[in-house]
Amino acid sequence: MATAIGQELVALLPRLRRFALVLCRSQPLADDLVQGACERALAKADSWTPGTRFDAWMFRILRNYWIDHLRRMRTEGMMEDVETQTQLIGDPGEGPIMSKIALAEVQRAIEGLPQEQREVLALVCGEDLTYREAAEVLNVPVGTVMSRLARARKRLVELTAAA
Amino acid sequence: MSELHLTDEILMAFADGELEEPVAAAVARVMAQDPAVARKVVDFQQSRRLTRSVFASNLAPDVPIKLRAAISAQIEAYEAASKADERPQLTEPKRLWPRMAYPMKMALAASFAAVAVATGFFAGWQLQPEAGRLATLEDPLVLRELSRLESGREAELPVGRLRVISTYRLQNGSVCREFKLQSPSAATNAVACRSDEWNVTFALTEPTKSAEYVPSSGGNLMDAYLGNLGAGNPLEGEAEAKALIEASR
Repeated sequence: MATAIGQELVALLPRLRRFALVLCRSQPLADDLVQGACERALAKADSWTPGTRFDAWMFRILRNYWIDHLRRMRTEGMMEDVETQTQLIGDPGEGPIMSKIALAEVQRAIEGLPQEQREVLALVCGEDLTYREAAEVLNVPVGTVMSRLARARKRLVELTAAA
Repeated sequence: MSELHLTDEILMAFADGELEEPVAAAVARVMAQDPAVARKVVDFQQSRRLTRSVFASNLAPDVPIKLRAAISAQIEAYEAASKADERPQLTEPKRLWPRMAYPMKMALAASFAAVAVATGFFAGWQLQPEAGRLATLEDPLVLRELSRLESGREAELPVGRLRVISTYRLQNGSVCREFKLQSPSAATNAVACRSDEWNVTFALTEPTKSAEYVPSSGGNLMDAYLGNLGAGNPLEGEAEAKALIEASR
């Protein structure tokens, strides 16, 4: 009997799209990734342990799906126009406290980080995963999570110091 | 007095509340004495706040209707299937794949047709590797590279550009590799498994002219196939190297 994960999956969709966008920087592709990852998750719903974090489990599936996708497709073409893609991302929502201008500046700084730093930053600071949870999603040691994260955040502080 | 060397990682972990108590207390003591250290911790707190604000503003709650509908449909299919105690055919075409039991080359065409009919999602994908293409996939040079190339690497061969995508170990211990062979006229994604030698067990060809990005139908089919094999997660690093050594014997 498969574990029913449908409701949790639907509730998680907005955050899955957000993380998919961190990975691939293109909204249409992000939605494809989310759909493919959901299909995978449903197919192996039994491997999720109830009581553990569903979001971390899903982020891991999503990221693995993305890696498989990269391996199958030549992706240089897709990654080239980061410039044009970034404007998709900065949808102003209910930005607490900060002005939209400051937000946009931080957004740009995040976009400028290397992929491996962006994803760990997204998981820990954006999605509130612990270091250990992020390490499991990314399939790297906790020490690697910490060094990438520290580098990313120091860089952010440097880049936004004038803000 | 023992000296505590505070790396950026430790200060960050302190700012994030990820440090165990004795160390956290020690960091707090140093912070109280050293403004430079305190400043670093504040910076880490600040970068977390900034990032969180950006991500909060990026959370578009309105998931596109199409995506939501597609996923709801998947969920329903799985839940209905799990009630009926069977998996939906889309991802588990098990009964359609009496593979391994037959000489693969003979079974190929029939199996493809069966899957194509059952799943019906093949616009743009040509599912019939004619004999010539299969021969190309099983070119000795291709097979030799399958025993050597790490995943992610490519080799230019007379029959086309070979790119090895991933390596899997099945439950029976045999090693399978997913790869792509790109010729001027077509691109083929295929799987080969090794018993005494490499045998191509699955192939999907798409014409090269449809150069634009094709989202996921082909990937899904490959996924379904690998899932059906019980491939699990790809082997990485040393595990893959070990499997390749076995395969080159």
